[in-house]
Amino acid sequence: MASLTGMFRKNTLPRSFWPLAALTLLAVGLSIYRLVVGLGPTTNMSDHYPWGIWITVDLFLIPIAGAAFTVSLISFFFGYEDYRTVLRPAVVAGFLGYAVVGILLFLDIGRWPQFYNIFAPGYINLHSFLEEISLCVTLYVIILTLEVLPIFLERTKWEKNIRWIERGIYIVAGTGILLSTLHQSSLGSMFLLMTHKLHPLWYTPALPVLFFLQAGYTGLGATAIAITLIWRSKGLPVNRLLVRRIGQAMGINLLLYVFLKIGDWMGAGEIPLLLKPDAFGWIAWLELGIGILVPLAILFTRFVRHSQGPFWAGVFAIMGTFINRLVITWVGLAEPSPLPYFPSWIEILITVGLVAGAFLVYDRIIYAFRLLPEKPETRQ
Amino acid sequence: MSINRRDFLKVAGVAAGSALLPNLTVRAAPAAAADESIGMLYDATICVGCNACTNACRDWNGTDPEPDERGTYDAPKELSADTWTMIQLYQGEGEYSFVKRQCMHCIDPACVSGCPVQALEKTADGPVTYDAERCIGCRYCMYACPFHVPRFEWDAVIPVIAKCTLCADRLSQGIGGPNCAEWCPTGALVWGKRANLVAEAESRIAAEPDRYVDYIYGKEDAGGTSVLYLSGVSFDKIGFENLGARPIPELSEGTANIVLPGIILGGPIVLGLIRWVAKRGGWEESWPV
Repeated sequence: MASLTGMFRKNTLPRSFWPLAALTLLAVGLSIYRLVVGLGPTTNMSDHYPWGIWITVDLFLIPIAGAAFTVSLISFFFGYEDYRTVLRPAVVAGFLGYAVVGILLFLDIGRWPQFYNIFAPGYINLHSFLEEISLCVTLYVIILTLEVLPIFLERTKWEKNIRWIERGIYIVAGTGILLSTLHQSSLGSMFLLMTHKLHPLWYTPALPVLFFLQAGYTGLGATAIAITLIWRSKGLPVNRLLVRRIGQAMGINLLLYVFLKIGDWMGAGEIPLLLKPDAFGWIAWLELGIGILVPLAILFTRFVRHSQGPFWAGVFAIMGTFINRLVITWVGLAEPSPLPYFPSWIEILITVGLVAGAFLVYDRIIYAFRLLPEKPETRQ
Repeated sequence: MSINRRDFLKVAGVAAGSALLPNLTVRAAPAAAADESIGMLYDATICVGCNACTNACRDWNGTDPEPDERGTYDAPKELSADTWTMIQLYQGEGEYSFVKRQCMHCIDPACVSGCPVQALEKTADGPVTYDAERCIGCRYCMYACPFHVPRFEWDAVIPVIAKCTLCADRLSQGIGGPNCAEWCPTGALVWGKRANLVAEAESRIAAEPDRYVDYIYGKEDAGGTSVLYLSGVSFDKIGFENLGARPIPELSEGTANIVLPGIILGGPIVLGLIRWVAKRGGWEESWPV
């Protein structure tokens, strides 16, 4: 635990620590303010835009935090051994991602003092995909806690108390994968009730499958980005074969996604909507181009072998996922309204601050615990 | 290429090898029961826009008026947490019509289907009611409702969802019908058993076919609603979309019935198969790796 005590010693802190800490503290203060005074004075949401930037960010962070799910699936069940080096960082990142989502959801619900109603047996409505998401995400956070505990308790006196997690890791990881499959797809299913509200280019009965596949490639893209950035910054040698493998897995997901998406457009006779020169037509092309075609062009050509190929494919795919979730939760879902919605500065600062906090904590966890492979020169 | 979306999804579904499990829960068929429950019929050709209904609603439910800029008249522009019903004016070329807004009290409501904590309920009497003790304030009902009806008390610290209750309390206590219908001075708004209201609407159209658009909005729209509308101008002009005759929750609940048991029962088998086929590893026998 020597490293833990040194976690906040001045000379170990990165230069970004204090700005990130300031943003986080501000967000904590504003979050308390929001809970005390209500949603009206603090957000720009209205009867015409009952959901704002927090929901958009939730629906964007969940597929990114899905990295924990995809990497667990590939390493534990597909059995690719070289994924083990990214398993720990992915699981911890997933844990922090879901923590941010959980806090944002708590701030978002109006009647937060009785949030626990979503767990009350007589209240649960299993026909509601929102209920299913609430239950799955809560259970999944418990599973992620079980998965990260052994990392945090490694080489401590509690290590022997959690041997059962290590022995049952297949059941723990398997349960996490099933819960992820459920809630990642259910995020899409949630919009099945909005037949007459969501723009037809995005509304389809195939939403759950599209969201699931999108979570697959977005999580893998995030993993490719993380390896490239973190490994570089810590001076670790990047396993290029692994990065290429991640890129290829991402490519397969993307291919299935684009096949389903375009096939669905054709099946529904919506191609003319794509060719209409209105804002939604342009956004659909932007999403398709940036989020799918560019990554595919990288991943299915020789660029996938370039050391930064999968990194850039990940960057573009995540941008596409952001556009997709932005349209589905906000732009394409607008109620007839005289007033446009734009998030208030409090909504923005809370979002930015919580994400900053996640980065800050992640950096300190990397410092204090064995998350990354050891440097070759320090290996004993 | 003449495949439609349904066919494509079928083919894609089979190709993906998705196992379609039989629906574990059976959807109730509430339409027949709804005919015996209470509803309202609003005839836009009779309404004179006097707003007696709005005031009757405020009277019974204790909501605050929303005055105009000069503060001389209750003049809500649209439904809000304080205004559960109101009259709007449609003006077109050579025609105009009033239209009353309130909850349609769907027979198979999307808000009830979406609510995670069963705070919204379609009661046997007819109304769709709301229970703040259950509600967590997620606002999913506001997006689920195809009629843009549920409203949120944005300015409250712990807000509630607000909408017309069809005066469920008056109905259950036998006080009378919805207060707005009781106070309508022209007979544009009447209440009663839904089956009788449908019959009444049909006979009005039959008696004066020139007066009406030959359509009873709510009879079958979105699976049917307990509040029915007659109009002299086409319904899209007074803000009623063509929602089709199927209940809104059908696709969502049908998907839930397949996805939930499918993944919970089929998931472990698929994971086991993947592991068995892959037959790699052995390195990950202990966690953390």
